[in-house]
Amino acid sequence: MATLNKIVIIGGGVMGQGIARVVAATGTDVILIDRDLSLAHKAYDEISDKLDKEIERWGITESEKKAILARISPAGDYKPAKQAPMVIEAIQEDLEAKKLLLAHLDNICQPGTILVSNTSTLSITELAASTSRPDCVIGLHFLNPVHKVPLVEIVRGLKTSEKTVESIKEFASILNKTPVMVHEYPGYVTTRIIVPFLNEAMHVLMEGIASAEDIDSAMKLGFGFNMGPLSLADMMGLDEVMSWMENLLHELSEHKYNPCPLLRKMVRAGQLGVKTGQGFFKYDAEGNRIKEGE
Amino acid sequence: MNILVLNCGSSSVKYQLFNMDEGIPLAKGDVTRIGMSGAVLSHKPFDRPMTKVSGDILDHIMAIEHVVSILLSPNHGVIKDKSDIHAVGHRVVHGGEMFTSSTLINEEVMMHLRNMIELAPLHNPHNMRGISACQKILGDIPMVAVFDTAFHHTIPDYAYIYGLPYVLYKKYQIRRFGFHGTSHYYVAHRAAEILNRKFEDLNIITCHLGNGASIAAVHKGKSVDTSMGFTPLEGLIMGTRSGDMDPAIILRIMGLEELSLHEARTLLNKHSGLIGISGVSSDMRDLLEAKKEGNNRARLAFDAYCYRIKKYIGSYSFAMAGLDAIVFTGGIGENSKEVRAKVMEDMDWIGAGIDAEKNNSTKAIESDISSSDAKVRTLVIPTNEELVIARETQNIVGKNVQDKEVKTSR
Repeated sequence: MATLNKIVIIGGGVMGQGIARVVAATGTDVILIDRDLSLAHKAYDEISDKLDKEIERWGITESEKKAILARISPAGDYKPAKQAPMVIEAIQEDLEAKKLLLAHLDNICQPGTILVSNTSTLSITELAASTSRPDCVIGLHFLNPVHKVPLVEIVRGLKTSEKTVESIKEFASILNKTPVMVHEYPGYVTTRIIVPFLNEAMHVLMEGIASAEDIDSAMKLGFGFNMGPLSLADMMGLDEVMSWMENLLHELSEHKYNPCPLLRKMVRAGQLGVKTGQGFFKYDAEGNRIKEGE
Repeated sequence: MNILVLNCGSSSVKYQLFNMDEGIPLAKGDVTRIGMSGAVLSHKPFDRPMTKVSGDILDHIMAIEHVVSILLSPNHGVIKDKSDIHAVGHRVVHGGEMFTSSTLINEEVMMHLRNMIELAPLHNPHNMRGISACQKILGDIPMVAVFDTAFHHTIPDYAYIYGLPYVLYKKYQIRRFGFHGTSHYYVAHRAAEILNRKFEDLNIITCHLGNGASIAAVHKGKSVDTSMGFTPLEGLIMGTRSGDMDPAIILRIMGLEELSLHEARTLLNKHSGLIGISGVSSDMRDLLEAKKEGNNRARLAFDAYCYRIKKYIGSYSFAMAGLDAIVFTGGIGENSKEVRAKVMEDMDWIGAGIDAEKNNSTKAIESDISSSDAKVRTLVIPTNEELVIARETQNIVGKNVQDKEVKTSR
């Protein structure tokens, strides 16, 4: 594979930050691009904060943090993409926005540059169709938190070439992630299965069958999940969960992907989970759960 | 015969080229940051100043290509042709129960090494990458694997078995292997030479105190116990590793702080030891500095570090039923008079003790620092693992050549 000494990541949100950090930790230089330079710097600072939290939890050392940050450069425009062998987009889960971005990248990038989308529900074939290089477009679906989840889903579009698939497999192994090959189909494996599960938990809550706390306890203790469904939804972001559901509903037209009314209500009220401090549970500014009565 | 000695880590390759006929190193150096941007090759010919080259070095193959080409270069080189490298000795961390001595590398050996990766997932894969890279670059020249664990293969079963269900030993080879074997062997053997006694007549305790640290009981020329165990985490307090502790502690902390396996592993390997106790540094020099300034946790880390060594010296002298010499080696053992003095405090009752003046003036040189009346000698011996690897390689390659001659003459 062409040498991957520099990777461009577009989108400084939770996923973009997570991917940047994991790539930089392997010793590869990362350019993290957001809409403007101050947003990119903000993303960089948030990575730094998260690494500090990680040190507190003994996960990494101070020098490992320095080494990671030294390899991440924030940028406010797309120029660095011109020379990169691989560009990963992790912007909002919106078909039109992603298509526009990929078309633009297709114009400015070198021929052969692999364009990677971190989409979880959108069609890679459709995204690829907005470029003149559908053979070089591929999906690589990371899960949050990127540094902890040892899995990636590799999604090939209809025209994705074998060479691109091989390159991305090798990339996954450099990142120490186990790849799962999935055929292009909305939601792939992970999102497709987890979303109705979360939605069902919300229905159970809405129908007053059990408290949020007890629903999570039941699923954690009963089935050995690390997190209960409602905590998980809070962590993922309720707006994200809802947009996944809507994409699945749109693509597959099945009733089971209809977002629970409670979810719609909470998203409208801006209660989006950990990132806003309020979802099914309450969180402090650090993102730690505030337990009832504390 | 010129022998290239290689020690391949995850992102580094250390090398040394020996001329065995003259018994001298021709050049040494290392490549760091392999696979990262801005890799650096530092090269020091025996008789000329060091040079540094930086550039993109993406994998071990490229790294070893660079090493070979600088060894050949008109300005910095020490040999004229690739064929002037007659054999390669590789440091391989883990030999498992299979490899009890150095071995000529062939397809079968590589297969066994592959099967053993699980035992040393952090080291063996890189060591093997170095071997494959050499095969590609240097072609069909003899290569020898020298194992860190090999010297400890003589440890008796009652010393290597853990107090765990025996089935775990059978299933997963959960037992003491020990590490730093090449270093323990070199300094123990050298101690016998310095004392002008037979290696086979002596009881020696060797303290390899580097960033990783271990201690070994060498009885009649054989390792009979060592402080590192199934992994390098056991035993002495080290720069960033905890060493011995109640295994229930980590289970308890994992529960209390909801740590993942990864976090628990980093806690014990990278946040513990000297840095963990002191909060100052994992480097003994910084710690001594802080201790001098009155930092109590630096004092505590230093005291705990030295106490743990003393405790092991006590156990091992009983295990061997006698003691003739204590050897200090490794960065801290060779350089820190403070550590040596603290460890050797109040040892006159077993006939050991050091001369303060000799100790104070010894830094990274071979020296007998014992007090004049000491029955148990205390020595400082800078380690030289590369030389052992070169010698082992020479022996095995020599033997192999003889075998072939015998076979063809029949």
